[in-house]
Amino acid sequence: MPWAPICRRPTDVSLLLILFAVALAASALGGMLGMAGGIFVVPVLTMFLGVPIRSAIGASLISVIACSCAGAAPYLRAGLTNLRLAVVLETATTLGAVTGVVLAGAVPAAWLFALFAAILLVSARQMRARRVEAAVAAQPQDPAEDRWRLDGVYRDANGDERGYRVQRLPLGLALMYGAGLLSALLGIGSGVLKIPAMDSALRLPIKVSSATSNLMIGVTATASAGAFLLRGHVVPDVAGPVALGSVAGAWLGARVLLAMSGERLRRLFVAILVVLAALMVLGAAGVDVVRGAG
Amino acid sequence: MKLEAVLARVLELGTWIASATIALGLVARDDRVVIAGIAGLLALPPLRVLIMLAAFARARDVRAASVALLVLGVLALGLALG
Repeated sequence: MPWAPICRRPTDVSLLLILFAVALAASALGGMLGMAGGIFVVPVLTMFLGVPIRSAIGASLISVIACSCAGAAPYLRAGLTNLRLAVVLETATTLGAVTGVVLAGAVPAAWLFALFAAILLVSARQMRARRVEAAVAAQPQDPAEDRWRLDGVYRDANGDERGYRVQRLPLGLALMYGAGLLSALLGIGSGVLKIPAMDSALRLPIKVSSATSNLMIGVTATASAGAFLLRGHVVPDVAGPVALGSVAGAWLGARVLLAMSGERLRRLFVAILVVLAALMVLGAAGVDVVRGAG
Repeated sequence: MKLEAVLARVLELGTWIASATIALGLVARDDRVVIAGIAGLLALPPLRVLIMLAAFARARDVRAASVALLVLGVLALGLALG
């Protein structure tokens, strides 16, 4: 393997536990809305724990994969995940991610912080403006989309079977490419961007968007995580506890998902995103909130 | 067995095994075991696509199978560029 052996550093057990807890909280919070927690993990790791940003991104990508794999089963068994659509959209997200891998080396750390802050704010806005799920109206069928047999059926809250159509696929693909690119650059799953994209561009029912996005973020993160691993940006003592916390958090989040009010959750989300955005702006300016490596 | 059910099982089991490996590595303070567990996690999404490819191929769904193959190709490209 062409990656350098990682030097053994004596690591405090308390640090491992903190990393585990951070990942658990982030993934549980994300899991409640059908996403992973990368968007929280990177800022907390860099701004509060002094982890270098590229190592933080590496750990976060692992976290996204963990969340995707740990959270997938319930969605799959409920029949909410649109597998055919997922694989079609994944061509775009993985291509975007590979583009990100190529660009990653060329982007200075300060720019990553600034870009992250921007994405956090966009995400906060998206969260606030979430479209309430409307009844699916009959749409004229695009012959191209029919050929791919992407349309699906799912069970809504009452247990009734509802059909839906996939619309404006090219737009969806373009948005997925962008989401993949951001995923590779920032170490997020981009679920917080993918879900609104599927919601408004493809006009999918929100549950289908969440379920399908959950599956897709795993493969998107893998497209870049492999490169991060080979380049030595995945530090075992950071990525290990983060991965475990993410698995536990994703499991927890999926179960709490049903119990908590969506509206309250959204408001909590928005608040956290805005605070983190402010911190990342400081990071871009080179300010160290906590004593630690930049 | 339905594709969704197979994928759910594989991902569940895989996540468990990978997580146990990572935990073992952290307890034993062995970097290589932790990395092995992480690599195991990384392998799950491509494995999922591979299973989908096999299912589509068996169902003679050329379009879907080609798409799945394309995704695997892009993943391989990402690794090669690393």
